[in-house]
Amino acid sequence: MNHRIQMTVNGVKNEADVQPRMLLVHFVREVLNLTGTHIGCDTTNCGACTIVLNGRAVKSCTVLAVQADGGDVLTVEGLAKNGTLHPIQEGFWEKHGLQCGFCTPGMMMSAYTLLKNNSHPSEEEIRWGISGNLCRCTGYVNIVKAIRYAAEKIATEKK
Amino acid sequence: MATEIQGMGHSVKRKEDPRFIQGKGNYVDDVKLPGMLYLDIVRSPYAHAKIKKIDTSKATAIPGVLAVVTGEMLKQYNLHWMPTLMSDTQMVLPVEKVMYQSQEVAGVIATDRYIAADGAAAVEVEYEPLPVVVDPKKALELGAPILRTDKKDKKDNLIFHWEVGNKAATETAFKEADVTVKQDMYLPRIHVCSIETCGCVASFDKISGKLTVWMTTQAPHAIRTVFALVAGHVGLSEQKIQIISPDIGGGFGGKVPVYPGYVIAVAASVLIGKPVKWIEDRMENIQADSFARDYHITAEIAAKKDGTMQALRIKTIADHGYADAAANPSKFPAGLFSIATGSYDFKTAFAEVDGVYTNKPPGGIAYRCSFRVTEAVHTIERMVDVLAHDLKMDPAELRMKNFIPANKFPYKSALGWEYDSGNYEAALQKAKVIIGYDALRKEQAEKRKKGELMGIGISSFTEIVGAGPSHTFDILGIKMFDSCEIRIHPTGKAVARFGTKSQGQGHETTYAQIVAEELGIPVDDIQVEEGDTDTAPYGLGTYASRSTPTAGAAGAMASRKIRDKAKKIAAYLLECSEADLVWERGKFYVQGAPQKAKTIQEIAFAAYTNHPQGMEAGLEAVSYYDPPNLTFPFGSYICVVDIDRGTGEVKVRRFVAVDDCGNIINPMIVEGQIHGGLTMGLAPALYEAINYDEEGNIQGGSFMDYLLPTAVETPKWETDKTCTPSPHHPLGAKGVGESATVGAPPAIVNAVVDALAHLGVRHIDIPMTPWKVWQILKEKGVAAER
Amino acid sequence: MHATSTKQFQVKQPIEKVWAFLSDLKKVASCLPGAQITEAIDDRTYKGTITVKVGPITSQFNGEVKIERLDNQIHEIELLGKGQDPRGSGGATMKMVGKLRSLTEGRTEVTGTTEITVTGRLAQFGSRMMDDVSNHVFEQFTRSFQAKLAQENGTGSEVAFAPTPQPVNALPLVLSVTGKVIGRFFGRILGKSTSS
Repeated sequence: MNHRIQMTVNGVKNEADVQPRMLLVHFVREVLNLTGTHIGCDTTNCGACTIVLNGRAVKSCTVLAVQADGGDVLTVEGLAKNGTLHPIQEGFWEKHGLQCGFCTPGMMMSAYTLLKNNSHPSEEEIRWGISGNLCRCTGYVNIVKAIRYAAEKIATEKK
Repeated sequence: MATEIQGMGHSVKRKEDPRFIQGKGNYVDDVKLPGMLYLDIVRSPYAHAKIKKIDTSKATAIPGVLAVVTGEMLKQYNLHWMPTLMSDTQMVLPVEKVMYQSQEVAGVIATDRYIAADGAAAVEVEYEPLPVVVDPKKALELGAPILRTDKKDKKDNLIFHWEVGNKAATETAFKEADVTVKQDMYLPRIHVCSIETCGCVASFDKISGKLTVWMTTQAPHAIRTVFALVAGHVGLSEQKIQIISPDIGGGFGGKVPVYPGYVIAVAASVLIGKPVKWIEDRMENIQADSFARDYHITAEIAAKKDGTMQALRIKTIADHGYADAAANPSKFPAGLFSIATGSYDFKTAFAEVDGVYTNKPPGGIAYRCSFRVTEAVHTIERMVDVLAHDLKMDPAELRMKNFIPANKFPYKSALGWEYDSGNYEAALQKAKVIIGYDALRKEQAEKRKKGELMGIGISSFTEIVGAGPSHTFDILGIKMFDSCEIRIHPTGKAVARFGTKSQGQGHETTYAQIVAEELGIPVDDIQVEEGDTDTAPYGLGTYASRSTPTAGAAGAMASRKIRDKAKKIAAYLLECSEADLVWERGKFYVQGAPQKAKTIQEIAFAAYTNHPQGMEAGLEAVSYYDPPNLTFPFGSYICVVDIDRGTGEVKVRRFVAVDDCGNIINPMIVEGQIHGGLTMGLAPALYEAINYDEEGNIQGGSFMDYLLPTAVETPKWETDKTCTPSPHHPLGAKGVGESATVGAPPAIVNAVVDALAHLGVRHIDIPMTPWKVWQILKEKGVAAER
Repeated sequence: MHATSTKQFQVKQPIEKVWAFLSDLKKVASCLPGAQITEAIDDRTYKGTITVKVGPITSQFNGEVKIERLDNQIHEIELLGKGQDPRGSGGATMKMVGKLRSLTEGRTEVTGTTEITVTGRLAQFGSRMMDDVSNHVFEQFTRSFQAKLAQENGTGSEVAFAPTPQPVNALPLVLSVTGKVIGRFFGRILGKSTSS
């Protein structure tokens, strides 16, 4: 039995029939073809699949698509606006906050939520804020710098 | 010119990043082809068992399940076994028995990944459990069950015995020594766990006979040749095989081998004539893909009373699982373990390694290191501290006393390597100054009086990377050169293709910088491509920190070939003799008349529009670079730890890494590589291990049990450098991707042991988990009561 | 994974009645949650199934149980069981020794020693929870044993028990330990229950 669901993803309304067991991450990647969101584990540890659902960062491998029915979703593809990079994206590029790039989208979505809730996080708060996201390449030092860069940029833009 | 050239030494922002930060990377699981099918794999719950029956009827009855591939099916094509990179054999799918838990037993092909998973769950397999051997020492005992019953005449579980060095001279040195120290240590199985798991999309076109495989591989060309050799008899020939290694989400050595899943996907695509996707999940990745380490080491040092080290002796048992599926060069079954004399001037040494079969997954690959170098460095750096402990000497002083002096390079080591260049004193001295070594020792003495546990650990490692000279290094007979092909377009822009494959190292940027440095074409005007065997020149791939030493050098050499031809064209355009021309980055000018010049862009245009008669048109070159020697990056790391007496938790307070990788192409990228490497050194030192119980059940088979460090556990790394160029590399570079993974673990262990040394602790095996450390605290009577 | 445990409990019945119950494999099996005897091969060997659910992992073991030793004099029984989940989650073997001792006031002490060896997914993910799971199983077994024994001897049921075999369900335990559901198995299990 398929279920009809509706979801706004990156500002675009979508409607689809899905199996009740379909994971949100598969819905995003395979039904909507937004492959920027990745899958890195099966136990909700790695955070590569992190997206923002109704304002909260969630691991989309542990949410069923039907649970997100009626929801508002932001993925990495929705960060840049009109060809301008989001300050988080800019920070990751500027501060060498990525290497293989696989954890990066999930990491940026966690950072996005962190900065929404805490516009001036300390280093420790940043580290805890991304502690649900594993990165195997960077050793996190430059990711922390990237998020700091973004926080400062956002603060300057608001002035 | 508006655009900057940005050659060597510039922290150029990475050219590959815009796609990654916008979710436009193209990883294997992002590849979607019309009519694509999905493979899911049935795996064995037993570590050793006979297969009595495989019943696929319930699986094939599920709508959407197209086929179940079994060993019996593959046997018809003689594809149920395949060779490993070490010329051993391993199963694709079993016919008679399984040899480790989570081994592939059958492959289910379905129209959707969920249905494939349903199908895998519906395949019923009847097993008859057999005796399990998980301890390699027991595997070597007389009367142990023989595991490789497929090998007729095999009467034991020994894979190889390998030795190096001068046994007799070493024995004499030990007999005559003032002091000898001996220590057993175990480096457990660990797994690279790149955040992207392994997978492929295999697409066979029945009409053209062409097989295209998008695949998570660090070595696409070598894989193509292996596929051709393995499946040549069923009609797959090398010109009809295209391997595409798209964006790779981390490799670290885990994406060098050929796993059964790839072969099953290819076989299924060939049989069905449709594309087949296989993406392993994390548990499959940890439980069945090649592991690293699993070395049981006994090491000894003979020294004079004053601490002068004389001889080194090492005996190792290497647990390879049920097949030797390491990815070492053919002549080196224990990899480059013979770098174990490290940074020290030993008179003589002897090392031996026994490779052993057990009921565990096959492997013996790297964990972000060059062929067993981490094992070697861990051994020597631990042993130096053991000697310092027994002689009651300061470990920094003991190192300084025994370093190979800077004026002795090139240096021939006791185990046969010729180190290209080094200055070990300078690196350690720098690290000591940055961290404030003497002040820390004072602080430690104060803390000890108060009962607080604080330790300082040093590691002064020497790596051996960049395999390698073709006279010694090959994989399955293919020499370990690497390659670059550069084409300069008429408008002066370039495409450069390499035989390696980036997995995050930033090749698109650093290679462009090398070509920019050599030709004066701006980095932005150079397109770097890798990973497609139909377009890139043949190369052995990216692992063992070999990209810069080999393919990077090929990039410089190909650029120089282009410059030679450009000079001829410039002489023709400027109507002068070649001998009168001077090269300044980006242009040739006439000596004494700098205004008479032709830029590389002008020359490129002329190469297609106005080249000298008798000369071939175009401006391109290929280089297959065969390095004359390996490179020997080094460094000194100092780590400070505090131990929580209540929980046994080790906290890394500071970690200073001074690295020397010769000349640097992109300082930002090099620093990033070191940060990552250090974190992959921290991980096995404190958290990661894969153990097995007596029945062969894996302990640590998911991210719930196998703990990768998060941002919270990872310290804020402090990095610095010295620069001792490689004398034989065209750019003086050495390679750096793995130095920190190799050098960091012993620094951390030495710090923890140092914190407990006054209690009589001399060695601790990794990982030093809170539980393990707490037990030591308890035993020594210093655990805090809460 | 290997686990050995010894448990003891008392019943308000004389030893001969308890022995009559304990030495009847079918009756004992009926007290074991999730277990069912499906076929008698001979008077000492039976085929049966046992279903164990640990978190997202449901294993149905098909196997054989055999009375290795039955000593009416000292009231001791030794059982050997072997099972395998045909759907690949693993296998288990169990050796159990049951012993009776007469107490005062017509009571009997039952001592059970079990040695369990588990292979497969349960052993991978369940190892940290195995103690909790086996305590849970034992508690259910004890209650059921006492209730059935009482009922059989006409002394009324002390504890209600389910007439049909229920799987051992350790899900609450798992949730309290890990707080997580394993995505892939989650998908598979939901898939199975919703698509069929």
